[in-house]
Amino acid sequence: MNLRGLWLYARRSPQLLVGSGMLLFLFLFGFLGSAIVDTDLARPLSATPRLPPDGHHLFGTDDAGRDLLAVMVVGVPLTLRVGFLAGSVGLGIGTLLGLIAGFVGGRTDGFIRGIVDTLLTVPGLLVLVSVASAIREEISIEIMALVVASLSWMWPTRTIRAQVLSLRGRAFVQMARLNGQGTMEIILREVLPNLLPYLAASFALAVSSATLATISLEALGLGPQNEPTVGMTLYWAISFSALLRGMWWWWAIPIGFLITLFVGLLLVAAGLDQLANPHSRRAT
Amino acid sequence: MTARDTLLVLHDLRVHFETERGIARAVDGVDLTLYRGERFGLVGESGSGKSTLLLSLLRMIREPGRIVAGSAHLEGTDLLQLDEETMRQTRLQRVAMIPQGAMNSLNPVMRVGEQIRLAITEHDEGSVADERIDDLLRRVGLPAATSGLYPHELSGGMKQRVCIAMAISLSPQLILADEPTSALDVVVQRRIMQTLAGLQNELGATVLLVGHDMGLMAQSVERLGIMYGGNIVEVGTVEEIFAAPKHPYTRQLIDSIPVFGERRDFRPIPGGAMSLLEPPTGCYFHPRCPEVMDRCRALAPDLRDTAEDHQVACWLHHQDSIDV
Repeated sequence: MNLRGLWLYARRSPQLLVGSGMLLFLFLFGFLGSAIVDTDLARPLSATPRLPPDGHHLFGTDDAGRDLLAVMVVGVPLTLRVGFLAGSVGLGIGTLLGLIAGFVGGRTDGFIRGIVDTLLTVPGLLVLVSVASAIREEISIEIMALVVASLSWMWPTRTIRAQVLSLRGRAFVQMARLNGQGTMEIILREVLPNLLPYLAASFALAVSSATLATISLEALGLGPQNEPTVGMTLYWAISFSALLRGMWWWWAIPIGFLITLFVGLLLVAAGLDQLANPHSRRAT
Repeated sequence: MTARDTLLVLHDLRVHFETERGIARAVDGVDLTLYRGERFGLVGESGSGKSTLLLSLLRMIREPGRIVAGSAHLEGTDLLQLDEETMRQTRLQRVAMIPQGAMNSLNPVMRVGEQIRLAITEHDEGSVADERIDDLLRRVGLPAATSGLYPHELSGGMKQRVCIAMAISLSPQLILADEPTSALDVVVQRRIMQTLAGLQNELGATVLLVGHDMGLMAQSVERLGIMYGGNIVEVGTVEEIFAAPKHPYTRQLIDSIPVFGERRDFRPIPGGAMSLLEPPTGCYFHPRCPEVMDRCRALAPDLRDTAEDHQVACWLHHQDSIDV
């Protein structure tokens, strides 16, 4: 499908359109925001603390004297980065293992499946909390992403393996073999292109669940202490009882951004899923 | 009949599926000779081993199936002894296959021209000119513009033509066709068979057509083989077999074809397909045979000449072996 076709489809799928719009807004917010807003104001003690939103501080300020607009301008891209990094690594590992398991089959398949099924029983958050608290001192955005990715490749492996198994049995893959195509050629030219829409939909979901895992860790105070990510802002708001003290802007604004991010990803995943599964496509 | 060039000689070909419930002998010792440039039809009911026989010639039998014995000499080289890479090159280049369900045999996300190109480049280093692909499409009766279309934009008959274009792309000596028209209506069926026959003459290739439609076979092939339970029970020219069928199974197959203009009850062959796991003793057809004799229950008949170009495996026609 070319770009024009994608646009034509997107026009028919309001979900995909609205979802992409929301994600685009978040990207632009961070990108353009840093050009307009002074990001130095995201550091503590750079503004008067505890100011509600007004014309001067659009999103208000927190207890430590950070300007929350500046914090969001810096934090939203950071949160997106962790999510996308962790999602890509997780899905990348999953795709690779899923392809190997589905195609090689036999003992290799059994081995990969065994590991996946075993790890799926491990409570992810528990492991993440223990790992993150063990390396709390030197945790950075990238390490955070890798920690999250290390436990997010099992579902992709499983589902992609299933997709590969079903594709492998299709007549056109059989035909490619009968026509003497090599195995690598079959994987790259016959199977992978047919997986792309599915991978795109999985990617949106992978980013979404990786972001959720990151935010959970951060809200528990296990994120990078010196980076003003959205999750860390929530952590500070919780520790300083923003809710009880009526500082609604401190928690409501980060939550608003998170809702935009998750709903956007969900809509994109649903829209792409319709593209991958013509069965759920509405007749138009 | 003049002396003809042999192309393919199968000798005692055996393909077994080793399942948990026992060994299924899908192809159980087949001897067959195909001549250069002929159209040979292989008929049998489901499970008689005809598709398995085709796949075994391409060495594409999947686990738990295995070619356990026999040889398949294509112009002197035994296909069953080739190493993997040579075998891969042989597919399409020397032995090509036209699939059963053309509906799903093309990659849904690749333009058909690209698919033909890919099939060729996998055998032939270097680039493939667009003209070559356009020419292939024209030869199977499709406009050259088809090459830029996706499979879902084609009708079933057009898809089957694309598959034929792919099959003839490297001018193979042997074209295997597994019920190539089973999913198409009779008009399209006939046209496609005509296209195939034309191309085959042009290439001088041999076509091995597999199916269960005796009527279609009568129109499309020159010689016919009847398969039952993994064995070939009768081989002969179409004229011979339809005029004087020897094996009771062949006779019943021909009888079961409805005749136009004659009202009569449908005459099916009584009984069901035999179990490959527990084949009957003696002749595999004896439990369903209307002319069964004691000898049939004990001993399996071998395939013998009864007339020129006509062989049959049936005790009714083996006069010399009364003394069992």
